[in-house]
Amino acid sequence: MNNEVINALSISNELINRYPWLPSLKKIYEDIGEKPPAEFISEIFSNIDSVQIANRVLKIFEAAFNNMEEIPDYTVDNLNVHVYLLLKIILYALNNKVITNRAANLYSKNAYNDMEKENSISNIYDICHDLDLKINFYDPPEPFGLKIIKNNREKLRANFSIHYIDYLKLASNLRDEHRKLTNNVLISGHVFVQNKDLIRLIQEYVRNKFLSEETEDNASLKAFIKEASKIQGFKDLYDKILSLWEKRKEEFDFTFKLDISSKEEMVLLLPPCVIEVLKKAEEGQNLVHHERLYIVWLLLALEYPVEHVVNIFSTLPDFDRDKTTYQVEYAKRKNYTPYQCSTLKSLGLCMANKYKDELCLTGYGSKDPSERKKLKHPLFYIQLKKYRSEKLEEYQKSRAKRELEESEKRNE
Amino acid sequence: MSDITYLKKLFQAYYQEEQKTFPQVSSFNLREFGFIPWEKKVFMKRHVRFEHPKELSDYIIRDTPRHLYSSGSLYLIPDAREMENKNYQGCDLIIDIDVDHFYTPCKEKHDLWYCKECGAEGTGMPEKCPECKKSKFTKLNWVCDDCLNIAKNEIKKLVHNFLIPDFGISEKDMRIAFSGHRGYHLKVESEELRKLNSDERREIVDYLTGDNISFVSLGLIEKTNVIHGLLKENLGWSQKIMSKIVEFLQKPENEIRDMLQSKHILNFNQNVVESFLNYKDDFLELIMKGERNVWAIEGFGLAMWKNFLKEFIKQVGIELDEPVSIDIHRLIRYPGSLHGKTGFKVQELSLEELEDFNPLDEENEKLDPIVFTSKKNLTQKLEITENSLPMTKIRGVEYGPYSKGEQIEVPHHIAVLLLCKEVAKTI
Repeated sequence: MNNEVINALSISNELINRYPWLPSLKKIYEDIGEKPPAEFISEIFSNIDSVQIANRVLKIFEAAFNNMEEIPDYTVDNLNVHVYLLLKIILYALNNKVITNRAANLYSKNAYNDMEKENSISNIYDICHDLDLKINFYDPPEPFGLKIIKNNREKLRANFSIHYIDYLKLASNLRDEHRKLTNNVLISGHVFVQNKDLIRLIQEYVRNKFLSEETEDNASLKAFIKEASKIQGFKDLYDKILSLWEKRKEEFDFTFKLDISSKEEMVLLLPPCVIEVLKKAEEGQNLVHHERLYIVWLLLALEYPVEHVVNIFSTLPDFDRDKTTYQVEYAKRKNYTPYQCSTLKSLGLCMANKYKDELCLTGYGSKDPSERKKLKHPLFYIQLKKYRSEKLEEYQKSRAKRELEESEKRNE
Repeated sequence: MSDITYLKKLFQAYYQEEQKTFPQVSSFNLREFGFIPWEKKVFMKRHVRFEHPKELSDYIIRDTPRHLYSSGSLYLIPDAREMENKNYQGCDLIIDIDVDHFYTPCKEKHDLWYCKECGAEGTGMPEKCPECKKSKFTKLNWVCDDCLNIAKNEIKKLVHNFLIPDFGISEKDMRIAFSGHRGYHLKVESEELRKLNSDERREIVDYLTGDNISFVSLGLIEKTNVIHGLLKENLGWSQKIMSKIVEFLQKPENEIRDMLQSKHILNFNQNVVESFLNYKDDFLELIMKGERNVWAIEGFGLAMWKNFLKEFIKQVGIELDEPVSIDIHRLIRYPGSLHGKTGFKVQELSLEELEDFNPLDEENEKLDPIVFTSKKNLTQKLEITENSLPMTKIRGVEYGPYSKGEQIEVPHHIAVLLLCKEVAKTI
């Protein structure tokens, strides 16, 4: 199939039903898009299929709270669009980062599995086209490399290449080594991607789409919940999900307290790269492989107890306490050294700029900026901060003592 | 009149003369401007906005700074004092290639250092004082044709080996400029690139430098004591590295030996070098045939192959100043402005003009960055104030080396260079 033929195709209703997160949803279901959410909810719950829709939404939340990788009994039919929209409305109403992240991870993984199972090149093309991703399509697939296993020579071929800007936008958060731009074939502005890697990028798009729904406008949110709760079906579903969450949320409680041995609040001594990972974990965001390794190795290097390190991961969508405990214990036995600053930078985990951390950005030592030394390791950051905080404490104590002595003298 | 006042007046006169043809950067009123004044102990003045180029030229004629910069970023409110209030709209991709940041053999001749701790002095660019092992230096960096040529070749490599073939960036979107001192800038102005955040820019930097490349992704792996190497058939970095290795293996044996032994390059021991030389023809044949990828040279383990490849990654990659490309709030020298440490102009160049451009001896008057040449061949008398100065070759004429207290008479443009460098005073 050549590009012209594919371009002539438009997104089918069937594809929208299967993948309701596609932007064309708005065009095809224009009538839904234009309705105020409360009216849309009212219509859903007056529909004869409302019980089925509500059950399917509930199942998604149950699966998300149970760390499942796929939505059970996922059905692709014309109700799927309603399920998707209602799911998003409820996530908006719940406005809970941990829940949103869990739902986003589950739904996007489900989309990945579905696309992979379907294995339809023309659908992948249509999806990319609809997402406005700049891609090239090759039929026959374009060779871009060679793999030799023993005496077998296998040509590496790709059906697609994606523009590097789109690639970076979708892949830079994934942070797996093989997804780094430098480890890929880039020609004339396009990165060659195997089908499953392209699907993985689309999964990231789906995940991000859910995350964009969070709101800080609490007044509007309250008003919306009040209005929507007048519809009994919605209220029942919303309450069921909340009660499910109440029962499970303890398991996801973020129990990170770093007051291991010293008196001061250890968290104040941590560099921004650690704070960022902890913050993501606290919000239930999925952590990429390197983030997981980094936080485990660093906290173990700080002699933080295994059980507490494991607890940090309890909010993650794929948390399995037994597996995590085994892995953290294994890392402890191996005594790995945490990543140094240069590695963190290359992995995109350095957060010095984001947090505008003075120590990371300007270094330490002399007052003269040209003679200051740059930090090379996050453990040294903690050591230095600890030293400074102890010095400050000593100074404050001695000053307080001096002031007390002086005031006593004055009183004499 | 002090030398600083004199230089300021010279710069002022230059800007006055050039005001009608002074270059204008794109999206002019969305850029933040910054200045470093002549007065000592006054830091950079930034967060300045100009609506029209005329305002800028009026400003630099009136307040004549020593250095003039504009942002790679576009802002709706470029003059807001806090970055978060500027209303960021995107940033051009800026690549800075400056020999300050990498080794060139000529630095052993013309870059001088003086250790503030123990008083030792020498040439080159050591990281630590060889005497006291401290790193508190006073440095005097100089320019020569050799290092400027190395910088120019890096820019050409960047454009022809990466930006055009790999990134598909069009020549019309590139703005190249000689920095007025020891390097070149390249700015890519494209709407889509402007959307990239710092993390995404780091990915581009890693691609251009080869930093943090994965040996496994390149194809280097060890399986059951057999090392499998790279294939030239694999497009991307693998192919770039393999082309360099082929080029290397086709060199005369003495050149290969030098590179394998050199302390600055591979620094292999004698046995390893001999072993490599024995196998080199077979290795070349293996690569060219591309039928197998088993790399077996006696004495070469996985770690040794990684060291070997690192050198070729370095040769293929671009020596660029990474933070400049990653930081979206950087200011870069304004085209057409004068560099306050040389008096040379920041000269914009097309790719074609870059080919024959020679900043220290440029034949094309329009491109000549040395703007303070006296038409009447005027000379100036100066006294050297720095301990020692290396030889400088400009327009084919050698000046120096000089030592402290020496009184010299040099052409006007050389006098401006030495005064801007603050290594001499007028007498």
